[in-house]
Amino acid sequence: MSDDETTLCDENHFRDFYLKQVQSASNFAYYKCGDGEAALDLVQDAFTKIWENCSKIDFNKAKTYLFTSITNLFLNTIKHQKVVLQYAKDAPNLDTNNQSPEYLLEEEEFKQKLTKAIASLSETQREVFLLNRIDGKKYREIADLLGISQKTVEKRMSAALQILKAQIENI
Amino acid sequence: MKKEKEILKWLNNDLSSKEIEDLKQSEDLQTLEKIAHYASQLETPKVDAQTALEKLKARNHSKKKPKVRTINFKIFYRVAAVLVLVLSSGYFFFYSNNTSFETQIAQRKTFTLPDNSEVVLNAASKISFNEKKWANKRTLTLKGEAYFKVKKGQTFSVKTTDGIVTVLGTQFNVKERKNYFEVHCYEGLVSVTHNNKTTKLPPGKTFRVINGKVENIEDFYATNPSWIQQESSFNKIPLDQVIAELERQYDLKIKVDGIDTSKLFTGSFTHADKEIALQAVTIPLKLSYKIEGKNIIFYNYGAQ
Repeated sequence: MSDDETTLCDENHFRDFYLKQVQSASNFAYYKCGDGEAALDLVQDAFTKIWENCSKIDFNKAKTYLFTSITNLFLNTIKHQKVVLQYAKDAPNLDTNNQSPEYLLEEEEFKQKLTKAIASLSETQREVFLLNRIDGKKYREIADLLGISQKTVEKRMSAALQILKAQIENI
Repeated sequence: MKKEKEILKWLNNDLSSKEIEDLKQSEDLQTLEKIAHYASQLETPKVDAQTALEKLKARNHSKKKPKVRTINFKIFYRVAAVLVLVLSSGYFFFYSNNTSFETQIAQRKTFTLPDNSEVVLNAASKISFNEKKWANKRTLTLKGEAYFKVKKGQTFSVKTTDGIVTVLGTQFNVKERKNYFEVHCYEGLVSVTHNNKTTKLPPGKTFRVINGKVENIEDFYATNPSWIQQESSFNKIPLDQVIAELERQYDLKIKVDGIDTSKLFTGSFTHADKEIALQAVTIPLKLSYKIEGKNIIFYNYGAQ
């Protein structure tokens, strides 16, 4: 990634790191608290912490530090809210060829069920599931970010899938 | 979900399209496929990274500002002023009450201390003490020679560069000159501390150090030092000390020419007449002298 001497105390390095990570960090915070502004506040606090402790942080572990900080800050400050996510406006349906009103309605209904189901996931399951689905991160990456093992990530992902499936099929 | 591992791999994009097809054959993936698909369509609030960075910087700057501590100079000056005042007044209160008495060459002074003890200061001597503290601490510093008649009371100390003389109430004489330290006790008991060694002197005893050497002196019977009666007495004293005393009693400069000044002199000279005094010193030692203005030259009798 970078040589050992790179530190985040260098303003340029910090800027690069910030610009690269701020969106995914914000996403992650959003999966936790479900509020865009609060999520960004969390992220800014976490980056501030990194800036203040820049000399103590190994550059290669900075990402993990960032996500851990967000988790801790979240636990300290934010009250749990229902995480209700929005779909992209022109998100394509699974079967783009089928334009029958029936199908469209069905899919719309499914989407609503899905957001509700996601909101009912536990925080750890939701963050793993969404990091994988929305941010397209591999289990290995997620494990690194959260500072947990890949096995744990897979377990949480699997559990999330089962809950989602069960919830959607029941409603 | 029977094929949990495969499903996880599928969502992790670790399966080839062939494997995905196989997976779909073996299990009903319809719901999961929809979940996977539509979950990816979910949106998160977009962050404008640049703006956010600027905000962060601004925030950090404003946060860091209070950490910079500037010395409040108003308070600093106030504290400094008070300190200066307290220290200087303290200094004057405790140290500036030093009273001192001094005599010049050929002078003699008698004065009383605050407790009515009497001090007679011989020529070219100086005494200083703290008048305010005198009631608690009878301590004075002496340079030269002085005769003390101390009233009874607390410990009375005379500090000199060669040692400390301590008494309770008595009469004694202290002579502290260059390479010369002598204490005579006339009454009571005098304690002399020299080089951390304390010697007790009963009346008639003398403590004498010449050139750093403590000497044994025979008893004397005088009731006060001879210089009080206008006479300097010496008992086996090296000539250079006698000359020094002559210079102090008369305003003279004495030079020696071919004389061993470590010769011991026993005798006395008057303070009243210079000629007689010079003769009193030179004749017993078989010396002659000549006067050249203020300078006197001692030489061996018959040498010139």
